[in-house]
Amino acid sequence: MEPRIAVLRIEGTNCEDETVKALKAAGAFAEAVHLKQFYSDMIKESEKRKITDYTGIVIPGGFSAGDYVRAGAIFSARMKSVLKRDLEEFINNDFPILGICNGFQVLVELGALPGFEDKLSEKPEIVLAINNSNRFECRMSYLRHENRGKCMFTKGLDNRVVVYPVAHAEGKVVFPKGMEGIYIDRLVENDQIVFRYVDENGDYAGYPWNPNGSIYNIAGICNAKGNVLGLMPHPERVMHEWSYLDCEWSPEGHGDGWIIFKNMVDYIEKL
Amino acid sequence: MIEKVLKKVDVPFPLYQIDIINSDDEMLKAISDELGLSLSVDEMRRIKEYFIAKGRNPYDIELQALGQAWSEHCCYKSSKYYLKQFIFNIESEYVISAIKEDAGVVEFDEDHAYVVAFESHNHPSAIEPYGGAATGIGGILRDVVCMGAKPVALIDPLFFGKPDFPHSVLPKGTKHPLYLLSGVVAGIRDYGNRVGIPTVSGMIFFDNSYLTNCLVNVGCIGIAKKSNIVPSRAGGEDDIFILAGGLTGRDGIHGVTFASAELKETSEEESRGAVQLGNPIIKEPLIHACLEVIEKKLITGMKDLGGGGLSCAVGEMALAAGFGARVFLDRVPLKEPDMAPWEIWVSESQERMMITAKPEMVDEVLYVFEKWDVPATVVGEVKAEKTLEVYYKDFKVYDMDIEFVTSGPEYCRSYLPKKVEVKGEERINPPKDYLRVFKDMLQHPNVASREWVIRQYDHQVRASTILRPLQGRINRETHGDSAIIKPTESWRGLAITADVNPWMTKIDPFWGTASSFDEMIRNLIAVNSKPHSFVDCLNFGNPEKPERMGEFVESVKAMGWMARGINLPCVSGNVSFYNETPHSAVAPTPTLLGIGIIEDIRNAITSYFKRVGSSIVLVGETEAEFGGSVYSAVTGQKSYLVPRTSPERLKTYSDAMLESFKEFKVLACHDISGGGLAIAIAEMCFGKGLGAEIDLRGIAGDAHVKLFSESNTRWIVELPEEDAQGFIAFLMERGCRAFEIGCVSKDSISFNDSNIAFEMGVSEAEELWRNGLSRYVV
Repeated sequence: MEPRIAVLRIEGTNCEDETVKALKAAGAFAEAVHLKQFYSDMIKESEKRKITDYTGIVIPGGFSAGDYVRAGAIFSARMKSVLKRDLEEFINNDFPILGICNGFQVLVELGALPGFEDKLSEKPEIVLAINNSNRFECRMSYLRHENRGKCMFTKGLDNRVVVYPVAHAEGKVVFPKGMEGIYIDRLVENDQIVFRYVDENGDYAGYPWNPNGSIYNIAGICNAKGNVLGLMPHPERVMHEWSYLDCEWSPEGHGDGWIIFKNMVDYIEKL
Repeated sequence: MIEKVLKKVDVPFPLYQIDIINSDDEMLKAISDELGLSLSVDEMRRIKEYFIAKGRNPYDIELQALGQAWSEHCCYKSSKYYLKQFIFNIESEYVISAIKEDAGVVEFDEDHAYVVAFESHNHPSAIEPYGGAATGIGGILRDVVCMGAKPVALIDPLFFGKPDFPHSVLPKGTKHPLYLLSGVVAGIRDYGNRVGIPTVSGMIFFDNSYLTNCLVNVGCIGIAKKSNIVPSRAGGEDDIFILAGGLTGRDGIHGVTFASAELKETSEEESRGAVQLGNPIIKEPLIHACLEVIEKKLITGMKDLGGGGLSCAVGEMALAAGFGARVFLDRVPLKEPDMAPWEIWVSESQERMMITAKPEMVDEVLYVFEKWDVPATVVGEVKAEKTLEVYYKDFKVYDMDIEFVTSGPEYCRSYLPKKVEVKGEERINPPKDYLRVFKDMLQHPNVASREWVIRQYDHQVRASTILRPLQGRINRETHGDSAIIKPTESWRGLAITADVNPWMTKIDPFWGTASSFDEMIRNLIAVNSKPHSFVDCLNFGNPEKPERMGEFVESVKAMGWMARGINLPCVSGNVSFYNETPHSAVAPTPTLLGIGIIEDIRNAITSYFKRVGSSIVLVGETEAEFGGSVYSAVTGQKSYLVPRTSPERLKTYSDAMLESFKEFKVLACHDISGGGLAIAIAEMCFGKGLGAEIDLRGIAGDAHVKLFSESNTRWIVELPEEDAQGFIAFLMERGCRAFEIGCVSKDSISFNDSNIAFEMGVSEAEELWRNGLSRYVV
């Protein structure tokens, strides 16, 4: 199918431009679409959109609606109220959804991740809690790719370490108290763990390598089908070799973020 | 006392007429004071004459409008004379618009222009650090957006009292520097990060002259297609005024008059209402909507509502176009329904923009704003006659000639040039313990790592930051010299730096400012960019005091001398006076924001040592110049000799350096500033955890001068060993001096001279430097 990708925006999402650019660089048709364009009566005919206009969705980073409640809570509530059915169908029809940073928070609030079942869960099963440092932090982070093949966004990464920047205040993956082991086992068993924070030697490590205190050093996970990925770090910010000019890291060819978008496009083309 | 000249007008809303025609000077003064106009008796007399000629008395709203328009903040009445004389009109063919509008507009390439604005938000931040700093960001973004530009970078130089100032002796009504620092940084963080504009540069400086007046300067750079640049004026007769953005409330009333007077003990209680409240989640869609109506060519003009609110925006937009305006105040959407007309007129509520559009475009403009859920309302129209009429519920509450309102006074204030103490040849002694001094410098709060602040700002959002403020090994970076942004699809980039050295300007405003200018240029050169333009934010004390005015004039003179000498245009700026309390005045603080152009961002040079064994070269000439230095601060020796410079020398070195970068494979470059050569070397080591072996025996002079003097126009350069001599010869041929002073090594930093030697492990030095500031904060 033709890769036609919507980058969803509402007030406060703020990474949509570079995300659209990243998708275009990987060969997709991509546009930033305001959530209102799917449902509001005041929108002009030429700007109205339907989910079925697209074959992929990205929820970009930012501070949707200010994140004054829980990060992503308001954006996901609005999406749920107008698009719940459509989204479930979209996922079940194998179309890919990517959530970056605030987008990951939205997918979790929406119940699309961890996505053990084929519908959105009623309540969020994960929380992206405030960082252990208790403040917003922006830094480059080393991530080890650990997915064994389920996640369609990271095909070909094998066991490589990549460097993506993180920039968030609420990125610590937390599972229901007392159930942590069960959740981790299930995610590992289902091959839903995608990225884990490591240090410069590729080993699991604490702060600042794990920038927020995430359990099991989790940086990104996919759903059980492998077509929904949420991650805190920002691949769209490191699309080029020269994205690393000022730091000690040399990517192979493109920037490390490129492969995520390229895989998304390739995957849709084969659908 | 003014009750007897106040007369309630018989209308169903609060409106007073003030009998100034029959008021004497004493009463005029009382009117100005009690209505919070901050106007002098002379200025009040001029207003009285105007209304005598009109044959009626003014309404409260008219006097309030004049108080706004004639404030120091809005009309630069104390500074304009000197700015014109020294800084304006530095010719440059690539400047599209300088000084005249809300922001400077400069050519970036054939199709694009960059837009730059720089402002202070000092008084509000001293009263309410979080809100004050946040709204500072909001205001500067509007200045850039209203020109039609997309913001791409924020810059925040901040100045506070010393972090270890004892609580017990804080002057009454003053907040502790650490409380202010945390609040200001949080305000910038929460606003800047939420609107999604990277904060890439700035500075933090601690000095007790800022104890009762912290300074918060905010700068913003945007990029626009040249064809999209929007003037801050109406397009023509019958154009419609549309007010877009947040609701209008009582927050921010008298913000500009408050900013144009000294702070005092009771300022908090009296002036809290003058601090506006910010909401980045209105601002973010407001930016999108404004840029959309510009891109679709739906509007004729746009101006942000900043100081003075509607009062200043409407008048200036109409006058600049050569027209008048008619405004219907009851159409303005309000936060509080019972506001008096004058309050609506001068409110400085945030996130508002004034737009003019042709009548046939109005519906389309309103649709775009509605789509973004941003309120937008038609509030008036442009008319041919050059008067401004304001109606409230069909009653004309305001009718004045625009030219009178906007013709603020201009003063040539008297001043006393500062006498700098120089007692013959100055003798600054070497330290007893070099290593101790080196350690004290590394952990000095004005030198130590700024990581605690920088990481709280998203410096990578928009994915166009090429050189970040932190460079080197991931998670253990060092400071860079300038940030670089790649604003378009081409390889061309913008280098950005903010600099001032208040310790130097405090001793000697002229040479201190010249040194700050030199540092700005050095930082731009260090990353391989060509200096292109600059803007200034001039923070000074009370201009009515001749010695303060003297500091201002000396500083502006130096800036003009340097800028004209190297032909660098000043394209915008801001003057902030009255940064003074009975306790103290701020050190003269002419903060400079420098912008350079790098032709290809892939040739950017970073600041940290790359490989063991490569050569280290010192470029420039070192003199015993310790005035305002970190060395004089940590050794407690008073020095009055602030480093000298000259535009000719600076230009010779800058040109030669840029030329050399084309010829030689330069691995790293860093400018020498606070702490001198020793600190520059240490910072270059920290980026990758490498060491350095420095041998200064090849250079004449005393060891402590070579190590710690802060002479201008100097850099440290790292080159492959085989290139060092060729590089030095290349510079010498162009009239510059350069010396090979050592090589990059592994684990320790060592300094050698004929009589002294000291050494320190890199990780030990790094720890002092990393914790020097963060030890004070949580």
